[in-house]
Amino acid sequence: MYTIGIDVGGTNTDGALLFGHDMLAVVKVPTDHEDLVGSTRAALEQLLRSCPAGAEIELQLSTTLTTNTIVEGKGTPTAAVVIPGPGLNLDQCGLDLPFHVLSGYVDHRGRVIADIKADQAVDAALEAKRQGAEALAIVGKFSQRNPRLETAAAQAIRGAGLEFSYITLGHEIAARLGFPRRVVTAYLNSQVAAAQERFIRAVQELEEFRTIRILKADGGTMTLAQSRQRPIETILSGPAASVMAALALTRYTEHNVAVVDIGGTTTDLAVVVGGLPVYERDGAVIAGYPTAVPAVYSRSIGLGGDSEVHLTVEEGRASFTLGPKRAGKPACLGGAHVTPTDAISALRLAEVGNREQAVAALQAFASPHGLSWQEAAQGIVDAFVHQLCQAIHAVYDELEGRPVYTLAEFLEKPELMPQVIACLGTPAPAIMPAVGEKLGLPVEILPCSASANAIGSAAARPTTGITLHADTALGQMSIPEMGLFKEIERPALFDQRRARREALERLVEYARQSGLDEVPELDIVAEEAFNIVRGFRTVGRIFHIGAQIRPGARRIRVKEGT
Amino acid sequence: MAGVGLIFFPAFDWCITPDHPEREERLLYTRDQIQEEGILDLPQFREYRPRMAAEKEIQRAHVFVPSLRAHITESHLIAAGGAIAAADLVMGGKEERACALVRPPGHHAMRVVHGQRGFCLVNNEAVMVEHIRQKLGPEARIAIVDTDVHHGDGTQDIYYNDPNVLHISLHQDGRTLYPGTGFLSERGGPGAYGLTVNIPLPPGTGDEGILAVMESLVLPILKDFQPDLVINGAGQDNHFTDPLANMQVTAQGYARLTELLKPDIVVLEGGYAVEGALPYVNLGILLALAGLDYSHVIEPDLTRYNLRQNQAVTETIAYLIDSVGEQWAQRREADLEGIFGSGDFFQRNRMIYYDTAGITESQRSGIRLCSTCAGWERIETRSDRFREMTCAVLLPWNCCSKCRSEAEAEYEEAAFSRRFRKVALHDPQKDHFTELRK
Repeated sequence: MYTIGIDVGGTNTDGALLFGHDMLAVVKVPTDHEDLVGSTRAALEQLLRSCPAGAEIELQLSTTLTTNTIVEGKGTPTAAVVIPGPGLNLDQCGLDLPFHVLSGYVDHRGRVIADIKADQAVDAALEAKRQGAEALAIVGKFSQRNPRLETAAAQAIRGAGLEFSYITLGHEIAARLGFPRRVVTAYLNSQVAAAQERFIRAVQELEEFRTIRILKADGGTMTLAQSRQRPIETILSGPAASVMAALALTRYTEHNVAVVDIGGTTTDLAVVVGGLPVYERDGAVIAGYPTAVPAVYSRSIGLGGDSEVHLTVEEGRASFTLGPKRAGKPACLGGAHVTPTDAISALRLAEVGNREQAVAALQAFASPHGLSWQEAAQGIVDAFVHQLCQAIHAVYDELEGRPVYTLAEFLEKPELMPQVIACLGTPAPAIMPAVGEKLGLPVEILPCSASANAIGSAAARPTTGITLHADTALGQMSIPEMGLFKEIERPALFDQRRARREALERLVEYARQSGLDEVPELDIVAEEAFNIVRGFRTVGRIFHIGAQIRPGARRIRVKEGT
Repeated sequence: MAGVGLIFFPAFDWCITPDHPEREERLLYTRDQIQEEGILDLPQFREYRPRMAAEKEIQRAHVFVPSLRAHITESHLIAAGGAIAAADLVMGGKEERACALVRPPGHHAMRVVHGQRGFCLVNNEAVMVEHIRQKLGPEARIAIVDTDVHHGDGTQDIYYNDPNVLHISLHQDGRTLYPGTGFLSERGGPGAYGLTVNIPLPPGTGDEGILAVMESLVLPILKDFQPDLVINGAGQDNHFTDPLANMQVTAQGYARLTELLKPDIVVLEGGYAVEGALPYVNLGILLALAGLDYSHVIEPDLTRYNLRQNQAVTETIAYLIDSVGEQWAQRREADLEGIFGSGDFFQRNRMIYYDTAGITESQRSGIRLCSTCAGWERIETRSDRFREMTCAVLLPWNCCSKCRSEAEAEYEEAAFSRRFRKVALHDPQKDHFTELRK
């Protein structure tokens, strides 16, 4: 089976063609921002030449479509209708979006304490429409424990004959706790739904593919149908693709790996523990919006091959700092600025551009400060290494400081610290050996750096997860991802084993719905169980179980000379 | 921006017994509420990990019988370490205020510990305060305001004779609630007379009463004492739904109290209405600490209760405010000789009941009456669980040289005496804590 991975990035569109685990070809074409499907088509056409006619092909796509739609504010005008109940004053949530408040609320156990008023919902929707909203998000606090109020509000609005191009309900889009993030996620989902729909239609007309899958922020893929319902999950698939590429290419499949992807403007850092990527605790942040979208943990620092170089001389000591902004094209490539790339070129750490131009630029930069070009070049490289090491330390400090809520987790902290650094990006071979030396870690330079995101897209596998919440005292259970809210049959017999079994069985069912033919390994990733005691009697139990398909990437072999 | 640092350790896998009020479930709904509100995404809040307190850090506040290791669990070490971590956030200038929502609680744990009392084994606040003083030095003035519904008898015991720690406890009257102490007459030892302030509130006290006490009594006392740090032992069992007490305070009342008190560090104590109170009270306290609007934090049950404070209760509180205020104002004029005698020592004999562990301790203590420092203290203790006698010699933070040599001689003698199975010497000035088991 052939697999084509395409990443439509900000500057270039990369493509990679696989046959099974073997990489056959990579391509690169410039991205046309007005026509992302056109860019996809251009990359595809080149790759298809390496495929036999009539071969079965699966296409895996990663695009900046939803990310750009949000960042550039080009989405459908949307408003949120919220049911916050008591708690934090919504005006202090920092919600940077139009919202309309309904009365009524659900408590932390999922009990409806007060119903919504249908006419209030209709009025809110009318008001939203009057202010120009074409799509809606309806979100209630604790709606993932009980979606009744959200559903009732949607029914009232639809029942009144009010038309919206898209309505997202909070419980369908964010299963985790976190009302403001759920509001934002549902809001953005409605905002990008139309753009995603247009994109999907165009993609479907491209070619006959066996399957088409879209890359998500968590590094997994989803079907086109799923991406229609939850387009918001396709944000930030670029950084996710780079982590997937590292997982696909690294020799260290079971290890703790720090993934460093050095680009022109920024360097992205990600973390792999025991062969599995680490995720954001609460969700992706996009354009300043904290969302509940599951995402691969990734930190971007303003340090790259084209970074600005700053030199300060104090008491005869020169010190260099780099970034956080991009200076422009390096001198060795015909630019006007001294950049880290020039230092790399001048010191012959790598063959880049015209070395003489690099040396000349460094000389001009350094001599007013009484430095030789060699000293300046070495200073810049040292600063790069130093700043990168600091950023790597900061990433691990942050992860080690993540709160835990049980003794077991506190006492048996998983070892996160890296055993190896896997690197992507053109400057990596020049810079990373020194970083590895400084951190005392081996460095692995991954092949095909220039097409990493396309490789990551091709290597990604479907990911799916569910969160089961069962409350046997109330006799209710929910799996919001599946829209499942039901009574527990015979709650007195519903114990932890049954809760676990229920979660795993439902996950299999959900995986099938998600277009997975065979169900890979399943993991219970979170498990909590509590006795509900009232008046010194146990009246029930609460189980909270997170289960997922084990994430990961298809291993990819790169033959010499690809 | 400096804001509020939250240390949250709900110990979801620790309980005293599975159906005990101090069980896994206690902070579950609080966690759910805090996460659902999303306050940790606000720029005012940051969440930090607790750490484990070291044995020595615990020993600064306690003498364990027969030993610390015989009693302690990891959860106790993390709760105490959580309080320490909260203090470090504030002292290190990383956060303006900090809040440690940890369990189990601590304020019933006294200096000597034979077991658990009132669900407490380690006095988290005292361990934290001793940590703070080791950093800030002996002159640091610290005020502890205990707003748990139960008298903070453990913390009172530890700081009873300490002139640099003001201990104010607001609680439901000891005649009607565990632990049955905390009356106006308990005002501190000879070296710190007046610096133990008890405000025993009548059952049925509501927001009106507790806030009147804060405004008209607690705040003026704090203003007078001029502490370097204000610590709030924030029990949440004054709540109208608490199953173990009889008060009528709401989440709004707790939030307003916090807003008035402006504590530097908040440490969770009790509070056992795990569903109807804790999620809302904790949220209210956190919002108030951060200076955010808490007016929308309203319990679902609120409308089902009539929470108007009874007139008799209001009058009793007005009387209390006057009496305690007067006691505070006149604390320096007190006739110490009349209260503590004119001998060399102020002697006390006490029976202390450990309700959680079912232990009765008998304790005999003597505080040296000294005109230079607070005076060293000698405690002889045994219990029906640990029958062999333990002797503890405690030096005060401002120990004078005369008291030091007397106390050290006393320790030497006890160490050689066959009466004692265990002897302990506590020297906070040198941060030195010696224990000898024979």
